[in-house]
Amino acid sequence: MTRINTRASLIKHLANDRQLRRYGDIRDLLPGPDNPTPLVRVNRVTPPDLQLFLKLEWLNPFGSVKDRTAAHLLAGLVERGELADAQLVEASSGNTGIALAALAAHMGVQLTVTIPDGVPEEKKTLLRMLGAEVWETPDDLCPVDHPKDGAIALARSLVASDTGTRYVMADQYENYDNVRAHYETTGPEIWRQTNGHLQYFLAGLGTGGTITGAGRFLKEQDPTIRVIGIEPQAGHRIPGLRSFKEAKPPGILDWTLIDDVIQVDDDPAYDVTERLFREEGFIVGPSTGAVVHAASQLGAGGNEVAVGISADSGLKYMSYFAERLGDEGLPTV
Amino acid sequence: MTQTNEIGDIQVAEVLDTSGLLCPLPVYKAALVLKKLEPGDVLELTCTDPGSLEDIPALARQRRDVLLAVDDRGGVQKFWIEKGEGV
Repeated sequence: MTRINTRASLIKHLANDRQLRRYGDIRDLLPGPDNPTPLVRVNRVTPPDLQLFLKLEWLNPFGSVKDRTAAHLLAGLVERGELADAQLVEASSGNTGIALAALAAHMGVQLTVTIPDGVPEEKKTLLRMLGAEVWETPDDLCPVDHPKDGAIALARSLVASDTGTRYVMADQYENYDNVRAHYETTGPEIWRQTNGHLQYFLAGLGTGGTITGAGRFLKEQDPTIRVIGIEPQAGHRIPGLRSFKEAKPPGILDWTLIDDVIQVDDDPAYDVTERLFREEGFIVGPSTGAVVHAASQLGAGGNEVAVGISADSGLKYMSYFAERLGDEGLPTV
Repeated sequence: MTQTNEIGDIQVAEVLDTSGLLCPLPVYKAALVLKKLEPGDVLELTCTDPGSLEDIPALARQRRDVLLAVDDRGGVQKFWIEKGEGV
């Protein structure tokens, strides 16, 4: 009996120790300038004279760059008292929903995620495993005179309708806390990890939070840093990115910070993703392939350093990859 | 479940009341119910969002269902939608 009590008391006193990577709560793993995600150089897939570093956001506790966004969105809602007696709803292609679901569960808050058609099953299952309700939504849900972004429209209608439940939308597309997340964490981390020596910052265009927040921070440190956005084709299959030929640009996206937008189609994005797997062991999602492909188009070289956001892991897209592989890698008779 | 509606000549398999819900919620919920019905089954749908007068007929066209009747009175819209073949 005494021994058990002693052990319990020892365990109770084990404090967080980042050096030992010992944490008392999964949320203590959330990134920030004192706990940055790794920056790892791409060595084979890019031209030899390009120093491209990927910021491995899939090593965040809930698996993507959106951990930062979700933590800041929720903190903002709590600070403003908006979450009291409310359920949370968010439109997400998966990653923000996943991080919100994990964090909301800690707070005892129920989450509904409206998710566009065609998002991989892995993400939908992850959301349901985390206790979220998943409403799959076709883009053209409202057939007449409504925005094409069906998932966003559906989430907003839940908030505005008389459903008998009060819904609050985190709204990563319009909520400036999304930008603040990257201004306060992603940007300072990159600046510190590169010792201020970088010429390019690349991020996919989605909600605009990463490119606006981190881009603004980096340009404030050094206005010559070129901020590059990556945009997919219309009808693309790169979850997390948005083509503004078919979707409305988010309100938080600040175009004045973006020096160039590089268009990347599905094929090169998936080809490069495959090369990242096979030649370098980066198990990344297709948006990372798009970022690395775009970096290769910069014509950068010499002593120039580029940093690109690797938003999430390839494990969430195995069904997409399996479809693309077909019989490749299977024995032939 | 089979009911006879107030018009009296349409056999209704399912009733959905979306009063108070704004577009696209009525469209979303109607599509979910229609998905579960058998071809030939009729959904009686009640809406109060005036946008439904455009959205629900468009939904029926898009899904290749048949909009049998519409009743728009006093800010309440009723639709009777027959599920099409193979949708």
